[in-house]
Amino acid sequence: MNARKLTALCLTGMLTLSLLAGCAPAAPAEPAAPAEPEQTTKKFALFMSHMSNAFTIELSDAVKAQAAELGAEVTVNDASKDAAKQISQIETTVNQGIDGIIIEPVSVDAIVPAVKAAKEAGIPVVIVNQQISDPAAASAYVGVANKDGGAMEMKKAVEDIGGKGNIALLLGPMGSDGQIGRSEGYKSIIDQNPDVKVVFESTANWTTDEALKLTENWLQAGKELSAIVAQNDGMALGALKAVEDAKLQDKIKVYGLDATPDALAAVKEGRLAATVSQSTTTQGLEAMKAAFALSNGETVEPVKLVDFTLITQENVDQFIK
Amino acid sequence: MEERITQKASPLKGNIRELGILIAFILIVAFLMMLSPAAFARPSNLVNIVKQASINGILACGMMYVIISGGIDLSVGSTAALAGVMAAHYAHPGEYPLIVPFLMALAVGALVGLLNGAGVAYGEIPPFIITLGTMTAVRGVSLIASGGAPVFGVSKAFEHVASGFLGGIPLLAVYFAVIVAVCAFILTKTVFGRRVYTIGGNETAAQVSGIDVRHVKLMVYTLSGVLAGFAGLLLASRTVSGSPTAGTGYELDAIAAVIIGGVSMAGGAGKWYGTVIGALMIAVIGNGLDILGVSSNYQLVIKGAIIVLAVLIDIKSKARRD
Repeated sequence: MNARKLTALCLTGMLTLSLLAGCAPAAPAEPAAPAEPEQTTKKFALFMSHMSNAFTIELSDAVKAQAAELGAEVTVNDASKDAAKQISQIETTVNQGIDGIIIEPVSVDAIVPAVKAAKEAGIPVVIVNQQISDPAAASAYVGVANKDGGAMEMKKAVEDIGGKGNIALLLGPMGSDGQIGRSEGYKSIIDQNPDVKVVFESTANWTTDEALKLTENWLQAGKELSAIVAQNDGMALGALKAVEDAKLQDKIKVYGLDATPDALAAVKEGRLAATVSQSTTTQGLEAMKAAFALSNGETVEPVKLVDFTLITQENVDQFIK
Repeated sequence: MEERITQKASPLKGNIRELGILIAFILIVAFLMMLSPAAFARPSNLVNIVKQASINGILACGMMYVIISGGIDLSVGSTAALAGVMAAHYAHPGEYPLIVPFLMALAVGALVGLLNGAGVAYGEIPPFIITLGTMTAVRGVSLIASGGAPVFGVSKAFEHVASGFLGGIPLLAVYFAVIVAVCAFILTKTVFGRRVYTIGGNETAAQVSGIDVRHVKLMVYTLSGVLAGFAGLLLASRTVSGSPTAGTGYELDAIAAVIIGGVSMAGGAGKWYGTVIGALMIAVIGNGLDILGVSSNYQLVIKGAIIVLAVLIDIKSKARRD
């Protein structure tokens, strides 16, 4: 009996350990850092909303690469999509002292007070990818206007179908900043093209499996579709699978946004009609450059918008790494 | 599929609990047929519904065992994601034979299931707690194993596992039917199946009567894990990628299917065909609302209401007969 209990305890211990291991990368700055007496290399902190897709990984890699080039140190904090967690991570880092911080916000509203507090403590704050609701609170912003990306994608789709036909929209989580901005961009183009009719419009929460299921159901509805326009590539690839399974790929074109590696491969094969790059690496490089310049007392542009790039079969090779 | 349900469900004298849910299911189907007769009732759409019910249905089969035994398994969605990621890793064209990703997915599922089972049976950790722990940890492991991004570039043979057909029937539906048949057989015709009910009904009595309760529990969670691993393989094959964030919330759909199907949350009672109807019902609702073009915001409200309503009809119809 006791031996069995012991085994069980061991198992539980192992589970707890694996839980801790899962959390380890999310832990804030290494405890060893403040103990170091000399301050020769500059220290920066990057706060990511999460680290669970190709976009966030590419962005943080770019920041790290630029920091290495500038001879600076950067620690990455993962908020796991939790705004409260990101706020406390920022507060902890600010209290420990740092030369500059870069934030990819979980929420454009919730982190404003933490940003203000950091700036009041004399620490330069660069916001990346999504502008916060009070831009004056931060020192600089590097990113994209989601609306422009949506408009670029929709413009290409409308052109390809000759300015008329039925289309379906796959949206991000309703109410998320990406969804709102990209939908605005879609609307700006659709409003100019009265012959383009949106017959289906629903969220698939950025996921491939939901988009696949949704598209399968739409294809059953008996309405003729000319294009499916998705707000990210994951959903576009789900829609593409449903279209190909139904052997409708010659009739329905599918569009995505983000330029993830699997989407780029699909564009190259001529399966996905187009995707849009939000120049993720450029965003990361520029954000780190801005933070470094600010820490040296230099002035930088308060808003630096990175251009979106439309990727089709013709230019896809430049983007495949 | 349909045929088997009506055949088995017809001697309903002793099985009134499932009758209410069958009525609710027929009502919903009739209602959707009335609203969009052209699109909904088409044979191709009916096949589509069974296909879409398959992955959740397979998870629900495992969940059914766990709930009948008096437990719960929250980890199946995360387990499916990890199994999908691991399968996709070994499914690149020309690297390994198809059996490798296949066994990999099942092994991942079995391992997580064993861990859950050992925790519940030998660690005496409440099932809700241990599976909440594995749900969180396994999601983390799948993010680590995939580097945070979907694993893509799988072979045609791997893609065929879920998108293929067998004599006009989607393979997904075939797997679902086979798994239902096996699970139903074990549950109703074997000593092990009866023990699952006994344990869920009264654990102390089961112990006293000489049943190795711990062993049965270990087996039940392992079965749920293996089925979650298989569901993850199918999910990865269906989406042609192993996504670490796939299957989020699938545990809740599986639990919903089991509960809608009339299986008692308290354990000890429930029928396999109730679970099948529950899984079909969830797929039918989603499919019908998508075809009607109902906004996703309203869909959430309608789905929630239908789940509660279906169970309410079940409870009321049962109370009347009692």
